[in-house]
Amino acid sequence: MVANSRTPVRVDRLRALNTPRPVRVEIDAHDKPTTVTDAGEHTEQLGKRPTEKDEPSSPQRTCSVNDVLEIWRIDDEWWRIPICRRYVEVILEGGKHVVLFEDLNTGEWFEQKP
Amino acid sequence: MTVSQAIGLCPSLTLYEPDPVHYDEAFTRLLHTLETISPVIEPSELGRVFIGVDGLETLFGPPERQLDLIAQVAEKENNGEEQWPSRLGWARGKFAAWVAATRAKPDRPVVVADDRRVRFLAKQSVAVLPISSDTHRRLWQLGLKTLSDITRLPESAMTSQFGAEGRHAWQLATGSTVDPVVGRERPEPITTGIDFPTPAADQAILCYALGRLVDRALTHPRRIGWRVHVFRVRAELESGASWMTQVVLKDPSANREHIVAPVTVRLEQQPPTGAVVHLAVEFLGFARGTDELQLFARDATSAARAGRRGALHTAAHEIKTRFKRSLLHHVVEVQPWSRIPERRYALIDFEP
Repeated sequence: MVANSRTPVRVDRLRALNTPRPVRVEIDAHDKPTTVTDAGEHTEQLGKRPTEKDEPSSPQRTCSVNDVLEIWRIDDEWWRIPICRRYVEVILEGGKHVVLFEDLNTGEWFEQKP
Repeated sequence: MTVSQAIGLCPSLTLYEPDPVHYDEAFTRLLHTLETISPVIEPSELGRVFIGVDGLETLFGPPERQLDLIAQVAEKENNGEEQWPSRLGWARGKFAAWVAATRAKPDRPVVVADDRRVRFLAKQSVAVLPISSDTHRRLWQLGLKTLSDITRLPESAMTSQFGAEGRHAWQLATGSTVDPVVGRERPEPITTGIDFPTPAADQAILCYALGRLVDRALTHPRRIGWRVHVFRVRAELESGASWMTQVVLKDPSANREHIVAPVTVRLEQQPPTGAVVHLAVEFLGFARGTDELQLFARDATSAARAGRRGALHTAAHEIKTRFKRSLLHHVVEVQPWSRIPERRYALIDFEP
């Protein structure tokens, strides 16, 4: 090891990257998304979920889902606040690939890069 | 333990970023010191250096004694300030020597005699081979886990499966090739001098002459591509005595002002005791790369990196002064293994 010569990094100023972005999703009888409505951009802190107080900053836009590619589920952190998510990778009209997930605890939908 | 694991265990942890320029300077100092043992020094990467030991046996004794000496020299270079746990290995060829060093402990070097070299290599994992990760993966998938597994195959089989890389791997595994240590290129010292028709005692004249000599030495063809690290100024005095000062630049430079400044200070603090009849400048030590052309060389890369970091620090400072807070951030790993995407990386304020 050599002597440290740089300014210490403040770990209390961490801000999460790739936080979930709330969207409104309509589903069909098989629980597959049919339309996705953008609910706007939000700025969040690490571990904080978006709330209803968060105002969308961009106009809402609805896209229909052309195809559902893959579905998987994540169950984690059962020892504190359980996280249960159902991820769905879809192709929107126009060909854009989007990954959505449904928070199975609250029923809310989000968009997030996997 | 990764950084993110450490933060998880200790949230109040203070993190320090690496300082590659400092490592580079320390490594360069170590190389200079090792040259007192052998003139054939080959740095392969930061922290790894091969030393040619041909002929050292008659000077220093058996391999164990040579390694002791190298450890002592490295320890001396530490100057008691920093802990550099070095691992030393001795074997014929760079590959075998490197594998031996990886098997050594900080205070226990590994010596592999030539008659044991093939058996020693055969026991090693294929992970020691300097091949691509894809070839490593394919070797594992084929069930080839140790070098002895490879030596049981014919060379043609490895070549047909992995091409030139497979052939090289087979040759290394069987010990049929011995890659010699290639000493690094070091330019000869550059000397320039001037005779004063009338002995000069005025410091302004001496400083002017010094600047001209440095200019002349910097334009020497042998200096191109190298930065000056160590230089000496000699003066012959009218009385027959002499004056000399040697400077080791912390940051090797090809800039006239950077070179002249420390000598000017010494001229003021400890001037020659009489009038000077001959003044000479000698560039003795060099570091690869120049301030003007920072391409290809490792030293030049680190210098460029340091320059970029300096510019970034200045910009960050100006932004913070103007907006009262840092608007620059950098990405750190938090839990890169996490299945929850937002837990993997985070932004943190950039505060140089």
